[in-house]
Amino acid sequence: MILFEEVSKIYAGNFGALKQVDFHLKQGEMAFLTGHSGSGKSTLLKLISLMERPTTGRIVLNGNDISNIKGNDIPYLRRHIGMIFQDHRLLMNRSVLENVGLPLLIEGYSRYEIKRRSLAALEKVGLMGKEDYSPIHLSGGEQQRVGIARAIINQPPLLLADEPTGNLDPKLSLEILSLFESLNEFGMSVLIATHDLGLIAKMRYRTLTLKNGEMINDGLMRGRNG
Amino acid sequence: MANQMEDKKILSGSPRITKVSFFGRVSAVIRQHFQQIFSSFSELWRTPFATLMTVFVLGLALSLPSVFHVLYKNAERVTGQWDGASEISLFLKKDISEPRVQVLINKLSLYHDIDSVTYISRHQALEEFKEMSGFSKALNYLDENPLPAVLVVVPTKNAMTSAGSKLLVVKLQREQDIDLVRVDIDWIEKLQAILALVVDIVIAIAVLLLISVLLIVSNTIRLNILSQRDEIEVLKLVGATNSFIQRPYLYVGAWYGLLGGVVAWLLTLGMVTWLQSGVMSLMGLYQLQFEIALLNVEEVVILIGIATGLAFVASYISVKQYLVKIEPK
Repeated sequence: MILFEEVSKIYAGNFGALKQVDFHLKQGEMAFLTGHSGSGKSTLLKLISLMERPTTGRIVLNGNDISNIKGNDIPYLRRHIGMIFQDHRLLMNRSVLENVGLPLLIEGYSRYEIKRRSLAALEKVGLMGKEDYSPIHLSGGEQQRVGIARAIINQPPLLLADEPTGNLDPKLSLEILSLFESLNEFGMSVLIATHDLGLIAKMRYRTLTLKNGEMINDGLMRGRNG
Repeated sequence: MANQMEDKKILSGSPRITKVSFFGRVSAVIRQHFQQIFSSFSELWRTPFATLMTVFVLGLALSLPSVFHVLYKNAERVTGQWDGASEISLFLKKDISEPRVQVLINKLSLYHDIDSVTYISRHQALEEFKEMSGFSKALNYLDENPLPAVLVVVPTKNAMTSAGSKLLVVKLQREQDIDLVRVDIDWIEKLQAILALVVDIVIAIAVLLLISVLLIVSNTIRLNILSQRDEIEVLKLVGATNSFIQRPYLYVGAWYGLLGGVVAWLLTLGMVTWLQSGVMSLMGLYQLQFEIALLNVEEVVILIGIATGLAFVASYISVKQYLVKIEPK
């Protein structure tokens, strides 16, 4: 699903955000990506979502080498990735239903199909009945669910979540993670970037740990459960 | 159970997302175009005051060249009637005999660009001069009549143009019995030169105003793009192509142009109608019947078409300049 081979990213000013990172996330696998602020988590996610290009190394996504992909192909590859952000990135001037259906609208689905699948996705995240609301009238947790519904609506094989529980209370955080688990059970690969070690410890999943741009750990993290 | 089935339908299966068929995509693109045409129109009215201001500024800028065009068109209609020489005076040599004059008249009558020839003898010319000048007593003291005989030639309609008159004059000058050919087309040439200058000035003003239309729309679209930067980033993140994102901005620009063109037409109509009574009063003083010709349907379509096309181009420039540079962070 995702293959990183000796990937480095050096920003202007010779700042090495990622250094020779190698890892492989298989199809249907769920993993956490952790590390302190500035460790390179966001850079790694940006490389996968094609917001940045690697300085050296090779990134393979879903069988496509995306290291030197053409700019025109980027939108089409992004349609294979569901992205969830800490700040939700919702369009406040559109309804919840319109926000969720955005990826399908872009792909050219009919209005009927967009509505049908948007409602199904909203039901999945527990937001049925709020489809006509403006996101601005929803709580942080509900906005995050709208973001998740939008990310999964076009059945992407990969889900990337950047600090998805950053602004949520512990109970809601666990609910969101349970949602990711259920999506993973249906074969979706999930990579969750978080610095919440307590949360990671509660779930027994593979954890990739970054420190100063280097991958210092790749395996299960010891926690209360094990 | 039904929900679980729906979940499986959404999330399971091939890692590649469901592809829309070719015909599905074509119909989707057409559908998207129509949706974006109408949604961009509604988008305009989310900020009605700003939209109206922009549309009126565009309308004003476009109405000036349009009004100039109408005025020029009408000026051309008026001067078209006085385009060339209506009469040419041929002063004959003093020693020419009457029979030779008749031969010359017959010869000139055969010219295809001469409509009529009138003969004024030396005697008739003197009598007319005495009458007009008021020096009849003084002229009686002259030993001989100093005035030559004159042939007054009226060219045909085709030869009345400035160029046609000149050609005819050259031909007449070659006649041996004619001493001097006199045609008063200077004032026509001056008038035509003034009109040509007015046309040049109008074109220069029109070009400047059209450039201003280009800048106004381009800047409006630029501000729209910059104010919707977050939305553009989100659209790019969920897989929208540049062409999908840029379309609404192009349509908004085209709407501005279309509405600006309609306003320009209405302003032109208003201004010319307002001028009409003044022009008719002026023409009445010269006992002339003249009605100002307004923009015809073809000209209205051209005006609105130019406005729409220009605004579309302006939007395209802005979109290419700013939209493609916005990338999600």
